[in-house]
Amino acid sequence: MKCSRCLLQLVRSGRTVVQRGSLLLSPSSGQLIVQHNQQQQVLRQFRCSPVLAKSQPEPVRFVNDDGTKKTKSLVTKEDLFEQVAKESKTKATFNQVIDVFTKTDIRRRGHVEFIYAALKKMPEFGVERDLTVYNKLLDVFPKEVFVARNFIQRMFNHYPRQQECGVQVLEQMESYGIMPNIETKVLLVQIFGEKSHPIRKYQRIMYWFPKFKHVNPFPVPQPLPEDPVDLAILSLNRIANDLDAKTTVYQLPFTDITESGEEISFPHIVGIQSPNQMELLAKHNPNRPVFVEGPFPLWLKKTCVYYYILRADPTPPEEKEEEVYDPERCFYYPLQLDLDLDRDLGDEENFDVDDLDEGPVFAMCMTSQGDQATLNQWISGLQQNNPILGRIPTLFRLDAGTRELEGVADTEAGHSHRPPPQSQREDGLPAEDSEAAVEEEEPRRSRGMKQ
Amino acid sequence: MSLPNISRVSASGLLRSSRDLRWLLRSVAPLAAPRRALTQMGYRRPGQPREDRPPWWRVKFDFAKGLKGMKRHFKLLKEEFFAPFVGPMGKPIMEHMLEQNQVLWEFRGPHSLQEWTISCDREIGGKSEIYLKVGRNNESCLLYGTLCSDPPKDGETRYSGYCTMRSKQPLASFDRKKYHDWSSFNTLHLRVRGDGRPWMINIVPETFYTHQKDDMYSYFLYTRGGPYWQDVKIPFSKFFLAHRGRIQDDQHPLWLDKINSIGFTLGDKADGPFQLEIDFIGVCKDYAHTEDFAYEKYKRNPEV
Repeated sequence: MKCSRCLLQLVRSGRTVVQRGSLLLSPSSGQLIVQHNQQQQVLRQFRCSPVLAKSQPEPVRFVNDDGTKKTKSLVTKEDLFEQVAKESKTKATFNQVIDVFTKTDIRRRGHVEFIYAALKKMPEFGVERDLTVYNKLLDVFPKEVFVARNFIQRMFNHYPRQQECGVQVLEQMESYGIMPNIETKVLLVQIFGEKSHPIRKYQRIMYWFPKFKHVNPFPVPQPLPEDPVDLAILSLNRIANDLDAKTTVYQLPFTDITESGEEISFPHIVGIQSPNQMELLAKHNPNRPVFVEGPFPLWLKKTCVYYYILRADPTPPEEKEEEVYDPERCFYYPLQLDLDLDRDLGDEENFDVDDLDEGPVFAMCMTSQGDQATLNQWISGLQQNNPILGRIPTLFRLDAGTRELEGVADTEAGHSHRPPPQSQREDGLPAEDSEAAVEEEEPRRSRGMKQ
Repeated sequence: MSLPNISRVSASGLLRSSRDLRWLLRSVAPLAAPRRALTQMGYRRPGQPREDRPPWWRVKFDFAKGLKGMKRHFKLLKEEFFAPFVGPMGKPIMEHMLEQNQVLWEFRGPHSLQEWTISCDREIGGKSEIYLKVGRNNESCLLYGTLCSDPPKDGETRYSGYCTMRSKQPLASFDRKKYHDWSSFNTLHLRVRGDGRPWMINIVPETFYTHQKDDMYSYFLYTRGGPYWQDVKIPFSKFFLAHRGRIQDDQHPLWLDKINSIGFTLGDKADGPFQLEIDFIGVCKDYAHTEDFAYEKYKRNPEV
């Protein structure tokens, strides 16, 4: 990259300037820094004589003042973070701790332990996905000390502990999926030189990350929407597997105050159905029940949401009817071709596997509260577009825990979720009611409850 | 058979060279040097004392088991003897040469689970769980469990949280290694139903040198989730080389003529239950796919 070369040349010219004994421009702040330590001594700028120190700024104050210096216990570098953590854990305080450390000692003694401690504390302060914080942390390393100056140093893992520390910073960045930027590269070159392990790791990140960035065919937007209704719409569109599917919000979340003063919160109900599913439902035999099953888990990065489905068992082979293609449905191309293609073994494109028929899925929904009342609301909402639902008995198979999707035979083979026999009697009732049922009246549906 | 220590040091990181791994271990290990080199000893769980018994002590000698074993081996030997009369690999030659699709594993019934082993980070002291069972109606297999990425407190392991299912090495008569030969195919085809989690498919080929023992070719399997089955087609040219979970600089395409096993790993750092249903796994020859390899050879000393 051109700008990296420019920045590198600036650094290199800065290095040669220093060798002549004049001022060093530190890359992180563009002005001369004169530092004092606690004893009010003028500290020498690195590779530069203190005679050139012109201005006299105030001494830097620490977070922990002299009061705690009397105790003689072992103080780890994490204590700096823990003291700040007592007040608040934000990016500003994290940066403040790093600033305190960098300004304490010109030679940055203990910087390796400090950086390891900072890496460990990053998730607590919530800055683990922030590239600027990583760059600031890399800035803690003293520059140009660890650069290998000849081939022997390059061969023999010059300053191994610091190189390993640099690699660990990059590894934490990589594990959180953060792409480093040009500032990271310039910092690494200044600190470790061009043929060092951290630069190698940086090059590997820059090679592989762009290759795998768009490899997910079902990408999850980052950040996920916080509104549960939006999240439900997003995940339903994802699992629908059909671009024509339409989501409907049957109920937005709201809280209602009853007469006794209690607050009842109602969950959101979002459903999805595609025209194919509507067709399948319209063709479903009303004598066979449909099942509301759930909750099934769906993971989006790190959040798990649950969805419910409305499905039916596959039609037994004796009831299957052949779909007759109406040739007038499409005039542009024939829907059915009777060609003898003369294909031999080399042209066989399908796998020799029996197709699983698990029964059609008619609709999916997502709601925060998965009890029968809410799902009943969903079914009644669905009924507006699928009037056949009024005549079909609906059975609820809800489970407190997560389950896998059910097949056919297990349900009839004395499974524990089998509806009680009283529902069989109720099956007869809606059938009679439907003839007398008027559209305004909500038809009763038989329910088999699982205890 | 225990899995190689691919994910022990890091379940998700891929990018350090293997030299650093051994260097790092040496800096943390106790003062006594191991008797044999690290590559030959197999995985030792941190905290467990080193075993000094010779390897033949582990074999159990049992008469009934031996008799059953003999019967099985001789039956396999007889099949192997008569298979070439039908054609190469026991299939007629026209079928062997021309076939475009081959179903490798079709999960129909409990017998299909015998060919697979499952493992999770419980081996290294973690808290994940994994179970494998036949799906409903004997029509698929269900891999389910819980993932927990708390690293075990042994002072050495830093990352944890993985679960995997791997196919066993196919064995000929008398426990000789047999290899899958997929040289006439170029795409892996799976029919899965996941829960939205990203998995990793690992293919382990047969290698010559011991240093290549933990070589794996991996690629991602992104599941959509939902009640519908998902057809996943991954060409073999997309698989990248990784050793012990670390992606390598020197990439080359997967050689399909001697494959030992295929496996699925879950290592996304989301704690919680997971499930994956697999209908079948097959290989096919996609004539439209002409790519040799998706990743170019990497320069060993690139300019900065």
